[in-house]
This record gives sequence, structure tokens and C-alpha cells, in this order.
Amino acid sequence: MSTPAAMAISAPTQKKTAAPLIVAAVVAAIGFALPSLGVPMTTLSLLAQASIVGVLATAVGFLVRQSGFVSFGHAAFYGGSAYLIALLAAHSKLSAEIILIAAPIIVLVAGFALAFIMLRTSGVAYSMLSLAAAQACFELMMKWRSIANGEDGLAIKLPREVFGLPLSIFQRPDSMFMVSWAVLVVIVVCLWFLSRSHFGTLTLAIKNNEERVRFLGYETLLPRAIIIALSAFIAAIGGVLFALYNGFVTPMALHWSLSGEALVIAIIGGTRAAWGPALGAFIFIFLRDIAGNNTTHWQGIVGITLIVVTVLLPNGISGALVTLWNRARGVSNV
Amino acid sequence: MIISKRQLLSLACSVAIVAAWSVPAFSQNKDAIKVGVPTALTGPYGDLGNQVRRAVEFAVEEANTKGGVDGRKVEVQFQDTQAKADSARQQGEKLALSGYKLLVGTIASGEGLALNPMLERWDALYISTINKADALTGESCSPRSFRVNHPDYSDASAVGTWLKTQQQGKWAVMGSDTAWGRNSGASFKTTAEGMGKSVVTEGYAALGANDFAPYIQQFVSSGAEGIWVALAGRDAINFAQQAAQFGLLKKVNVAGVSFVTDNTVATLGDVSKGIWGIINYSSTLDTPENKAFVAAWGKKYPGTQPSNFEGETYVGMQVLFQAVTKAKSVKPADVAKAMSGGSFDTVFGKSELRAKDNQLVVPNYFGRVDTHEGGLRPVISLTVPKDVATPGPDAKCKM
Repeated sequence: MSTPAAMAISAPTQKKTAAPLIVAAVVAAIGFALPSLGVPMTTLSLLAQASIVGVLATAVGFLVRQSGFVSFGHAAFYGGSAYLIALLAAHSKLSAEIILIAAPIIVLVAGFALAFIMLRTSGVAYSMLSLAAAQACFELMMKWRSIANGEDGLAIKLPREVFGLPLSIFQRPDSMFMVSWAVLVVIVVCLWFLSRSHFGTLTLAIKNNEERVRFLGYETLLPRAIIIALSAFIAAIGGVLFALYNGFVTPMALHWSLSGEALVIAIIGGTRAAWGPALGAFIFIFLRDIAGNNTTHWQGIVGITLIVVTVLLPNGISGALVTLWNRARGVSNV
Repeated sequence: MIISKRQLLSLACSVAIVAAWSVPAFSQNKDAIKVGVPTALTGPYGDLGNQVRRAVEFAVEEANTKGGVDGRKVEVQFQDTQAKADSARQQGEKLALSGYKLLVGTIASGEGLALNPMLERWDALYISTINKADALTGESCSPRSFRVNHPDYSDASAVGTWLKTQQQGKWAVMGSDTAWGRNSGASFKTTAEGMGKSVVTEGYAALGANDFAPYIQQFVSSGAEGIWVALAGRDAINFAQQAAQFGLLKKVNVAGVSFVTDNTVATLGDVSKGIWGIINYSSTLDTPENKAFVAAWGKKYPGTQPSNFEGETYVGMQVLFQAVTKAKSVKPADVAKAMSGGSFDTVFGKSELRAKDNQLVVPNYFGRVDTHEGGLRPVISLTVPKDVATPGPDAKCKM
């Protein structure tokens, strides 16, 4: 089989699979052990938030990595999924479980349809179009007062039990961290496998040179549309976690500033590794909290961090860690 | 300068005595009152959040210099929410988990509404001093959530009382294109039409709009005799300045909600003279409690009077401290029990915190900008009595 992988960056060989998987398993296990290790509740609350935002940032990072598209509008999928849950819970007779599963699937379908419009553009135009589309969703929820209650937002009416678990499981920081951490780990692992699959390397090749891949006989529109839809789906799963945890949604969950925050997180963490944006989320949330405890100028500290990272570590913190890891194992960096 | 040993000793003694005198003795075996303030310290509502902060800091300092509340020291912690609902929920949780379970002072209504369902889980309580959405003490009410400030429906009834005293029959509405602006415009229209007056034209400008000329032209050509303005902050200032340039402010009767705040008046200067407005709280309020508050405020923040938001936040602190004294406990459950249905001494005078919806029953005010004690300030000219300003509890509230 002619593989487009040759054109993609660093086609990994089978030999290098084992070690990263072990590290990943250890990190995942440490995460699950944290609540029972006597970590304070305030820290667990931050970890829960970081895991939820981490899902959104992972979606943004995945899109950058697999397609090169920089989205300024991912909050639309995230907040959109939370709004779908709130509106379906208020106006339909469906059970909470069906609503929670349906919301990201609706976003997936919408994202797939939207992709064919988005793919008419590229580069800055793509970013601007994503920004405009997301702001349209924001304005819609701001203005459509009869159903969405404008800027005051909507309470999400959830029953006392969801998926057979008491609702408090999803709203207590310690248990919600376990839930959202599990979701984040599953998503990152899936994306890691996807990036190594035929489909993953094909989309990387399209990203590098779409015309050449088309000349090799591959269809290039559909794979890119699938990447956009998958990225929207992941962001929507983040939105489900957000809805469960907060039980409340306002148009700010659709605002461009949240899309921007997700992008900043992805850049800090680095988008070349599937786990980069998730790492970025933990760094960002803890940095913001520590800075916020000491000064109201925490945005300045986050801004300086972003500048330092982009100048000194162009591949983000995950990129720097991978370089160190490879150097330690005597493998030259690619 | 050479100081002799004896002088040094007497100096040291007097310093020690003064120090011992001025450090209030807090009871060692009583838990401190820990107040958590999740509010907008940055972002577009940062100015409001900082007013909340000033009022809370004032109240805390005042209580601590008096030896605390019921012998308890008051401690306070602030966290920035940027007026975002999910951030208020996170910062509220953080404060509650760190022991600061008596929460006060978010800005946007969405913040308060997001806190309400979480309060019992956190074993916390929340006192709204700024949130205006009716739902907070309506369908989203909670036994752990209280409101001491004026809700939207209170402002609406104040408008009715005032509008009866005005002769103009044709009105225009200038609102901000937000939930609050639209609601205010709609309720003004209903009230006006109920009195046989009419709203001849309406305009809603986007938040942060710079050019109000098209709206002003529209009002002039519509022949409106009065304008109801539901704009706040910078929008209110931009509109008033441009309306003054067109000579509109002199020709028609101008009134509004959140339009004649102390900050707007300070920025506008003479332009604002004569503008009517709903006044939720004013430093000119004529009660002995308020006079004492304004005098003490002037000592801590020289040359200033408490603004409407600062006054209402101070009321929240007054109610909280009295409830702690009454409950003889700082546990949120006990304090909540003492608050609900209780009667409290506030700058509005003796006020009841209605048990059915946890809303403080206070009068509301209407007035206009005028010279008061040498400076321009919103001056109360009409008091809407308690029973009109805070009509019966919302039936949608089920505790």
C-alpha cells in the first residue's frame, strides 16, 4: 500500500510504541489515584475544571495538528452542546441520558455539514469564518430571549440521577474530576491511535500538500470534513461535561473569548502531541489560579507566559518535553 | 536628635499602650466570620466589582475596629469572576471549600443564578447585592440564597408611581440591546400604556455603541415629549453627551434606570442636571442609619460618598453581621435560618427579609440630578413605599 505517511512528519515505527504507552498509563493512573491520596478539595476543583477545559483545548489542538486549521470558534460547539442540553431538558420529554448523548451527536452532524462551507476557505479566512459563525451563535442566544433567556442564561434541569449515578457525582469536585479525567484520557488515547492510523497519516499528508495527495488518487475533501466534525464532536463532549458540572449555561460559553482561551491553552501545551493541549489546560488553570490569588492582573501573567512559550518553545511545552525525552533515549529529534 | 533612656522607655510604653488599645480584642474561642466575595475585579464590569469590594472592605474594617461582630473577627477573601457565570461558580466553590462560605456580591444576574443550585452542596449561603433578575428570588430561589438589593420588578413598580406625576403623554424608549435593557423598555411601555400614555418610538443600541445620533434624530422627529433611558455605564454617558449636543436634554423630559448613578453624574457634570431616574440607594437618603454610614464612609474614603452599588452592598453586610449575631453561629445553615424572616437594621431603616422568597423588603426611590451640599448628585424626590416597591413574593419560588 502506498502510504502517505512518508510525507507526513515523523512516521513512527512500531518499536517506539511501548514506552509512551507505559508513560501514558502511569499518568492516567496517577490522575485516578489523586482523590484518594488526600489532595485538598480546592485542588481537585481546579483539576476538574482543567480536565473539562482540557477536552475543549484537545479538540482545538487536534484540528490544528491534523488539518492545520486554526479555529477561533470552538466555543460554539462547546457552549452549543451545553445549550442543546439545557433547551432539550426544558422543552422536550426525552430522558436526561438521551439528551446528554444526543447533544454531542447533533453537534457532530452540524459540524460535518458546516465543514463543507468552512473548507471553501483556508488559513486566516478559515479562522475568521469560524469566529464569525461562533459569534453568530453567541448573538442568537443573547437575542432569542423567549427561549434562551438572553445574557442571564439558563439553568439546566437535570434529574437527581443521571446514568444511574446521583447528580452530585457530576457536581462534586472530587468525583467530577474522576469522570472528566476518564473522558479526557479516553479522548487523548483515541486521538493518539487515530494520528497513527492510515486515516491520521492521510490527513497529515493533506495538511502538508493537499494537491499532491489528490494526484496520488486520494479524495481530500471528505477526510478534512471528518476531521472538522470530529473536532466539533470532542468540543461538544467537553460541553456535556461543562453542562453536568455547572448545571447552568450563559452565552459566555459561546463567546469568542472562550474560543481564544482554548487556543491559547493549545498553544501553551503544544499541538504536535495529542496530549499537549490537555497538559496546557492543567498548566493554564493552575497558573491562572495562583496568579489570581496574588493579583488582579493575572491576565498579564498569562499573556507573558504565552509570549515566552511561543518565542522559546515553538512546539509548546509538550514539544519541549518530547525533545527532552528523545534526547534522553538517544533518539534524534524529528 | 538624642533621646534619653527614660524618654525612650516612656515612648515605648505609650506606643505599647496605644497599640494594645487600638487592637480590638477578638474572642479566642469563637470562629471568625469568613466572607467570600466572588466578583468582577477585571473585565467590562470591573468598575462595579471594585465598588462591591470597597463596600465590603469598609464594612469589614468597621466591624473589626469595633471589636468584631459578636466578638468574632471578620475575614474576607476576594476572587475575580469577570462577571462570567461559570467563573462565579468556580470561584464560589473555591471560596466555599477554603472555608469562606458566606458569599456576597457577584455582579451579573447569571452569576447569582449559577450559584443558587450549588449552595446547599457547598454548605454555603449567598447574599445578592447587585443581581437584578427576578428569577433569583423567583423560580430559581433557594433557601440558602438571599437578595438585599432591588430586583427588576421593584424598579418597574417605582416607574409606575413616578410616571403618574408626569404630564407628558408621548414617550420614547432608548435601551441597551441586552436582556436588562429590553425588559426595562418593555415594562416601561406596559406601565405607560396602562396610564393612557403612549410610547411613540423605541431604540435599542448594542452594548458599547458609540454613535447615538440616529436614535436621537428618531426621537426628535417622533415628537416624543419624554424619553425613558435604560442604558448603563459608558453607554449612558455617550448617549447623554450626544443628546446634550443636540439640545434634546433641555427640550424633553429625560428619565432612566441605572442612568443617574453617582459615577455617571460625576462624568457628565452639568449636562446631567435635571435628569430623572430610579434611585435604588442614594447617599442623600434621609435616615439616621444612612447619615452615620455616609459620615463613616467619608472618613475611610475621603472626599467621596457611597454610590448606589456601594450602599446596597453595605446593606448586605449589615444583614449578614446581624444574622450572625442572632444565630450565635457562623455556620451557613444557622445564619440562613436567622436571615430568613428576620428583621434587620439597615441604611433603609428597619427592614424585613421576607421568608417566602428571601427578598429584603425595602422602599425604592425616584429622583433627579440636582445640586446637593455643593455637588451634583442624584437627589431623592419621591419615595415608593415598601409595599408598593416590593410587592408580594413570586409564586414560582418554591423553597
